[in-house]
Amino acid sequence: MPLGAGMKAPSHLAGEDQSAWRLGRWAAAAPAFAVPLCLILAPIALFLAYSFFSVDHGNVVYSPTIANYVRFFTDPIFLPIFWQTLLLCLAVAILCVLFAYPVAYFLTSLRGRRRYVLLVLLLVPLLMSYVIKIYAVRSILGGNGMLNRTLLALGVIDKPLMLFVFNLNAVLLTLTVLLIPFAVLPIFLSLERVPRALRHASADLGASQAQTFWRITFPLSFPGVASAMSFVFVLAIGDFLTPQMVGGQSGFTFGRIIYSQFGMAYNWPFGAALSVILAAVVILAISLGGRFGRRGERT
Amino acid sequence: MIRVSSHAGALFLAILTSFVFVLLYGPLAVPIVSSFFSVSHGAVDWSQPTLAAYFALTGNDSVLDALRTTLIVGAGAVALSVCLGTGLALYYASPNAVGQEFLQFLIFLPFLMPPIITGLALLIFFREIDFERSLVTIIIGHTIFVLALVYRTILTRLQSLSNSLVEASYDLGASGWQTFRLILLPNLASAMAGAAILAFALSFDETMITLLVTGTQSTLPVRLWAMMRLGFTPDINALVALILLFTTVLCLLAVRFLIPAGIAAGAEGD
Repeated sequence: MPLGAGMKAPSHLAGEDQSAWRLGRWAAAAPAFAVPLCLILAPIALFLAYSFFSVDHGNVVYSPTIANYVRFFTDPIFLPIFWQTLLLCLAVAILCVLFAYPVAYFLTSLRGRRRYVLLVLLLVPLLMSYVIKIYAVRSILGGNGMLNRTLLALGVIDKPLMLFVFNLNAVLLTLTVLLIPFAVLPIFLSLERVPRALRHASADLGASQAQTFWRITFPLSFPGVASAMSFVFVLAIGDFLTPQMVGGQSGFTFGRIIYSQFGMAYNWPFGAALSVILAAVVILAISLGGRFGRRGERT
Repeated sequence: MIRVSSHAGALFLAILTSFVFVLLYGPLAVPIVSSFFSVSHGAVDWSQPTLAAYFALTGNDSVLDALRTTLIVGAGAVALSVCLGTGLALYYASPNAVGQEFLQFLIFLPFLMPPIITGLALLIFFREIDFERSLVTIIIGHTIFVLALVYRTILTRLQSLSNSLVEASYDLGASGWQTFRLILLPNLASAMAGAAILAFALSFDETMITLLVTGTQSTLPVRLWAMMRLGFTPDINALVALILLFTTVLCLLAVRFLIPAGIAAGAEGD
């Protein structure tokens, strides 16, 4: 705790001066709180309030109503897309972990410097333009994309496959490719923390490699898997660019619906209510990930 | 270290890891390679490499405008977030701080929440306070978004410094400001530089919040987004190649400022 280490509350002051000193502490806190309160808390509070407003002929009506939430739960359009999006993002999270786990395991089996160079190389794509990555994956998956052309050239198929073009499958694959690095990092960190002595002990006691993996390594690395899944899930569900770019007409997701409320549909309060529901899902996912993610750290 | 002793298992893991590398980097090669060839009637003409697409970009005003906007926004967001982040980190670490956990929670909020929520909250906020959407609103959006990362990077460095440095400075009669300028700032400088580069890289890339809080200006990713909906063209590919080159350089710089210590420590602890 560096700065101001010499400014401990002077204990010799009388009671009145003590409280004045405490008031001074709060006054000193004001500038620190100013920006986060004005530009983070205020917008979020307003946004929460907006979800209880309504719209009449393009104007926002500022009287509280729960109509937006009622509409979400009763309208036959929104709930199915909501569940479908949850399922999609769960599938993305599982796929990412299936790819990331063996990669992270492989990294921890490498020695010294090589391990970290490979790790950094796996993380570099995170700093690369998101839009560009979506575009690049689309150029592979598209009807006239690399995948189809390669398969055609190899004679595997005789006309372009439309399985991965402008639909939910395309969204699933694109999100998986984009989000794998987010899954590698937490799994790698948790695998790295598994004590070597435990695995040696397991081997000494006659366990096979598979037994050691399933009974020692995997359970101990499970917190990393939980964090990875919650990261990927949260990032996938908040994304509206990928479904917009590769989803086409059928690849509608919850994020796209929210975005459209602020564009074409022009119903900001309803969009705010949908976002509050999204935020609730995100908070649930983060706390689940945090709960299972921390369990291993205590033991 | 985990030992993979069965050869088949090790081979399988190595192949799978290579496959993931192909998944991550392979798609990027497509636009880069095709940026050097011309496209006619929707098919790439592979017979002759050309730099035509790159020259065409220099005359593309909308792209140059977007580039200018992106650089202004990046510079603004970096300056604001580094100042704010340093101030907030110093506040968090000071023994007189009150409510610092709540403050930290607020700072992390826009980073944890999906960008669409941060963007929408700001959009509604700006409209309600009658603040016209402009370059300023984009800069504010980006600052809020990158603040958590900048703050965390600087706080980590601050907490790794020994208390005795500051105590010695006070004992020798330095004022708070002198201690900050002569003791803390030099020690924080490389963390601040690394944080600034990361913040710039994030801002350079930010699309979702920008799409929501922008007025008429578009940043490079937003411009690209608009162009990409039209299809796969050589000028987009050239732009993509240039942006990737630029972000790779940024990455290397950030790694230089922030990661060497981490790698060294990690390798020693192996």
